[in-house]
Amino acid sequence: MRKYWFLTLVLALLIVSVPALAQDAKTITFWHIQNTDPGPELIQQAVDRYMADNPGVTVEVVAMQNDPYKTRIRTAMGAGDPPCVFPSWGGGPLYEYVQAGQVIDLTPYMEADNYNDRFVPASLSNVTFDGKIYGVPVENTAVAVIYYNKDVFAQYNLTPPTTWEELRSVAQTLIDNGVVPFSLANKTKWTSSMYYMYLVDRLGGPEVFASAANRTGGSFEDPVFVQAGEMVQELVDMGAFIEGFNGLDYDTGQSRMPMYADQAAMELMGSWQISTYKAENPDFYENKLGIFPFPAVEGDEGSPTNVVDTVGDNYYHISSTCANPDEAFEMITYLIDDESVALRVEAGRIPPVVGVTEMIEDPVLKQVVELVENAESVQLWYDQYLPPELGEVHKDAMQALFGKEITPEEAAKRHEEAAVKFFGK
Amino acid sequence: MASVASQDAVTLKTARRRAWFQWNEYTLTIILFLLPTVFFMTVFVVWPIISSFELSLYKWNGIDPVRTPIGLDNWTRLLQDQIFWRAFGNNLVVVVLSIAIQMPLGMLLAIMLERAGRRLIYRIFKTVYFFPMLMSSVAIGILFKYIYDPSFGLINQFLKGVGLEGQSWLGEPNLALVAVIAVICWQYTPFYMILFLAALNGISEELRDAALIDGANQPQYYRFIALPLVRGTLRTAVILSLIGSLKYFDLIWVMTEGGPSNASELMATYMYKKAFPSFEMGYGSTVASALFIIVMVIALASLFLTRRFETEV
Repeated sequence: MRKYWFLTLVLALLIVSVPALAQDAKTITFWHIQNTDPGPELIQQAVDRYMADNPGVTVEVVAMQNDPYKTRIRTAMGAGDPPCVFPSWGGGPLYEYVQAGQVIDLTPYMEADNYNDRFVPASLSNVTFDGKIYGVPVENTAVAVIYYNKDVFAQYNLTPPTTWEELRSVAQTLIDNGVVPFSLANKTKWTSSMYYMYLVDRLGGPEVFASAANRTGGSFEDPVFVQAGEMVQELVDMGAFIEGFNGLDYDTGQSRMPMYADQAAMELMGSWQISTYKAENPDFYENKLGIFPFPAVEGDEGSPTNVVDTVGDNYYHISSTCANPDEAFEMITYLIDDESVALRVEAGRIPPVVGVTEMIEDPVLKQVVELVENAESVQLWYDQYLPPELGEVHKDAMQALFGKEITPEEAAKRHEEAAVKFFGK
Repeated sequence: MASVASQDAVTLKTARRRAWFQWNEYTLTIILFLLPTVFFMTVFVVWPIISSFELSLYKWNGIDPVRTPIGLDNWTRLLQDQIFWRAFGNNLVVVVLSIAIQMPLGMLLAIMLERAGRRLIYRIFKTVYFFPMLMSSVAIGILFKYIYDPSFGLINQFLKGVGLEGQSWLGEPNLALVAVIAVICWQYTPFYMILFLAALNGISEELRDAALIDGANQPQYYRFIALPLVRGTLRTAVILSLIGSLKYFDLIWVMTEGGPSNASELMATYMYKKAFPSFEMGYGSTVASALFIIVMVIALASLFLTRRFETEV
């Protein structure tokens, strides 16, 4: 008989403990992916301050890795059990969640007391669909710029190129001296896409992509896309990219190592890399790092001030299953209040709030902010703008284009076919 | 006396016949012991398989509350999907190379260790050979990404040092798959080595002594006596490797993500890409179901075709 007593006891304990765990008055689960230093502290200090001000609410913070997060959030949403507050990059993938009714419309919160005036207008456009705001921009402003090694440039008397022709002659000089012009880690695929995006924008202006992607009369087989592909392959042919780039992984630093070792002279990358340089190789950051914007292409449509850029991501959103949306929103405001903004600037980031320029002292970062401010138009990363299915097609096509497995025409055709299939037009 | 004995035999026979449905004091015990396994198998294996098949009949992005039933459209798409068939072909390459490399190498190491007897050197090398098996696949993948790095990697540094040309191992479409398979073999050979070693050690010493007295030399002993005796283990090993290779995922994902341009795509990586990054849960489930059918058919066929090698070991 004794074992039955034991079993009963265990069962009783289980039954009693479940409600006990769920008894906390108000809980907000909060997922984020700011897992490299000082990301976790930036989040934690805001959450701690919020909880100190609101003793009745417990915030459960869960930090995750970038790629696993993408899978987990989708599984959680599909299963109807998402966290209260979660991050995204805005754009096409977020729109999928919005259409699925998984995200709360934050417009009333954002418009109360004109809270949204706090943010740079461009930062809200990626989370605004049909006139409604679905996210709060918090983490950073990211611009794709070309980083270069000043020592290497000085050694061969080179100056940062301002036109495509100059860029090609700089590349040729470097190749003649045994230095790889561009480092590129393209196992990751979106890394090469930036060259293509910039060339399309320079050649045809932002409307070419917008009208193709939104199916408003444009086509991915527009000659501009083909020409951009040809220019990319010209660079590949002259040996402008590092050997074996299609097998190198951006996430494990394989594109930065050649820069650190003076073997490669330049890399086109998002401005988040500045804080990575700072953390990984302070010596390189202080003594060798320079940046310049993507050069102009002579005689073509797009303004050379245009940038490939995201303003404000990661964004934070509230899921529609969240039991305490008011508390969740207030918690998010702590992430981007003045104290948090100051800490983010100190960490080398550019929070998407008005007046941030005056707070930034770092010369490299200041240059980046000026690029954003002077930009005539801003192009979001294609794989973030496009619906996920098309984003994947785009990235695969880029890898094949750079690997010269397909022609520029084929790359354009793949995009167009996928778009026609997805949108039905 | 004789009649009692025969009666016992009859009772035993009926008892056996009835064993399937007889309720006695053990039945409850058996059910209770099986219950947890059956429960977890149902929840984590059987039900997901069934629901994958169900999902394969829908167009669904994985998050929308509404799924659109589209009949067999996903399946017709799969049959015409060149990338899927390329992935299937790559899986076959993994199967063939894995078996052709891991089995002989594992056996060779096992024989060498067995020949070393119980000496210290045996224990040292057994541990050393087993190390790769103890590391996590992700760690191995990242490690070998650096080893294969065209500019800084160990291999190219060595090749350049001896005057040969380096290769971009993971960046070249016709090298990437083979480069990863080499790492897979490095990781899994020790597993088969241990399996074979256990089988070889299980052979009675007397057989070897008898063979040697009869004039056999060592190679002959292994070729004609030891190998036939462990063929059951060999069969198990081949089938394990076959199934493992067909559903392989981890090192490919960490090292190449199926690239460049699907050159090292496997069915499992393709399934993941479709179901998650592309938001095509329905089609991803179709790939998963096809993977299930393919692995099932090939595994059953190979079990059936090799059943004459079955032994107790």
